[in-house]
Amino acid sequence: MAKSARQAQIEQAALYPLDWVEERTGLVGYTKWFLFRNVPGDVNWMQTLGAATLTAFIVQATTGVFLAMYYKPDPNSAYESVQHITHEVTLGWLVRGMHKWGASLFIILMFLHMARTFLFGAYKYPRELNWIIGVLLLVTGMAEGFTGYLLPWDQTAYWATVVGININATAPIAGPFIAQFLQGGSQIGPDTLAKFYSLHMLIIPGGLMALIGLHMYLVVRLGVTSPPWSPKAAGRPRDEPAPTGYGDYRQGLIREHREEHAQEDGA
Amino acid sequence: MASKLQQERRAEFKRYKEDVAKEGKPFFPYAILHDTIMSLVVVAVIIGLAVIWKYTNQGTDVGVLGPLSTAKADPGTTNFVPRPDWFFYFLFYLLRIFKWPETVVLGTVGVPTLLLVLLIGLPFFDRRPERAILRRPVAFVAAILVVISMGVLTWKGATAKEALGSETVSLVPKWANEQGFADNKVAVAGATLFAESGCLNCHTYLGTGSSNLGAPNLSDEGAKGRGIAWQVAHLKNPSSKTPGSPMPSFAALGDENLTKIATFLEASKGPQK
Repeated sequence: MAKSARQAQIEQAALYPLDWVEERTGLVGYTKWFLFRNVPGDVNWMQTLGAATLTAFIVQATTGVFLAMYYKPDPNSAYESVQHITHEVTLGWLVRGMHKWGASLFIILMFLHMARTFLFGAYKYPRELNWIIGVLLLVTGMAEGFTGYLLPWDQTAYWATVVGININATAPIAGPFIAQFLQGGSQIGPDTLAKFYSLHMLIIPGGLMALIGLHMYLVVRLGVTSPPWSPKAAGRPRDEPAPTGYGDYRQGLIREHREEHAQEDGA
Repeated sequence: MASKLQQERRAEFKRYKEDVAKEGKPFFPYAILHDTIMSLVVVAVIIGLAVIWKYTNQGTDVGVLGPLSTAKADPGTTNFVPRPDWFFYFLFYLLRIFKWPETVVLGTVGVPTLLLVLLIGLPFFDRRPERAILRRPVAFVAAILVVISMGVLTWKGATAKEALGSETVSLVPKWANEQGFADNKVAVAGATLFAESGCLNCHTYLGTGSSNLGAPNLSDEGAKGRGIAWQVAHLKNPSSKTPGSPMPSFAALGDENLTKIATFLEASKGPQK
């Protein structure tokens, strides 16, 4: 069906802003590269755990921004500002509750995502570096949990941090210096709280975002693995049978669509 | 010159790229659909937890997911429970395994560092291309052991009994009798402070307490002949007397109270039987 001159004109006008951006940044091309890359047809529900972890992180970042608008990182008013958020600010309890519970979920999902990667042997060549970035994300994520735990400035928070810092101090060589830096004085006080606040909402999240960016770049560049038990795992020679011993494997998520389409095409 | 392993791996990855290009499906809209469903589930669970946490905490009842807050932090009250957030329980409980103070560093630094090195190094000592878990027996067994031990340590950390000051205070007369300091008023006052100040969350005394972070049994602390001045200085700044001690400073109790505790410790020479 041939396009009328009018249609072509409208299309061109609609695409003009995209072309304008593409010519100057190449961003449209990158977005296409990200969205329309192929993934194996037999990917599994377990492979959504990475996206789930990212979502938990986005929830943390978003609720964290709103909490920072009301929180006061000073021992004289920190506890009171958290009470204000919990009991007085409109939906403050929800934002704080989501941040508190989202933190636990973020950690759990990181561990599950790592377990999936281990189960699939997806850390092997050529994805070694992405495994290492993942381990760094786990450690940084737990550091985020440690620094965030002090901020409500209640008894639980305070004494958990006292012991945490003291444990840090027992490490050889760098231990005492790190503990001294974190505590910033003879006792946990204003300097400690300000430091933990800064670490918790600037340095560590910045590091997390950079690592997540790198992690996702490598995922897109190297591709997603097929489940090793898949009969049509991408990369396995076609004359080699799928590993046995898994019982009835579940069909891949996307493969089912493929077969439906194949039948339609054949009909 | 590529080794046989390198050639094999490169060939497999090349095949993978070809298979995905030929048989794969575009990420959008296929895989992203499942990612989106999963993400919505995650957000729903987070909101659900927040709602349950808030609405089961009505009035003075503590909800199923714990209180909204505990009391405001007070460096002066030392009756605390040294307990980190749940995802550190496995490290926290690990420290109980190392009973001798000299070996605590193995729990605080040694084991975590070793685990981290093993985790980071995993792709470099597991270089075979095989990905099916049942054909990777060492990885399979190691993974099961790690999951079980982390699960058990987390569970033990979560259910560890806390020494409550209000309960341990009732043991003071028994201690005074067994140790034979019932006539020493200052020592009895010190024993009460000792019971109230959370010391037993790490130390043990005549069978009561937790033995955390390598904290020693104090039942016969007085038999070591360290003297009251040493004890007071140690309570003010533990690592000045025992380098590397994770014990917090109790200076906030004040000299008078610290002297009472020190007198009590010096009077504790082991059960007088």
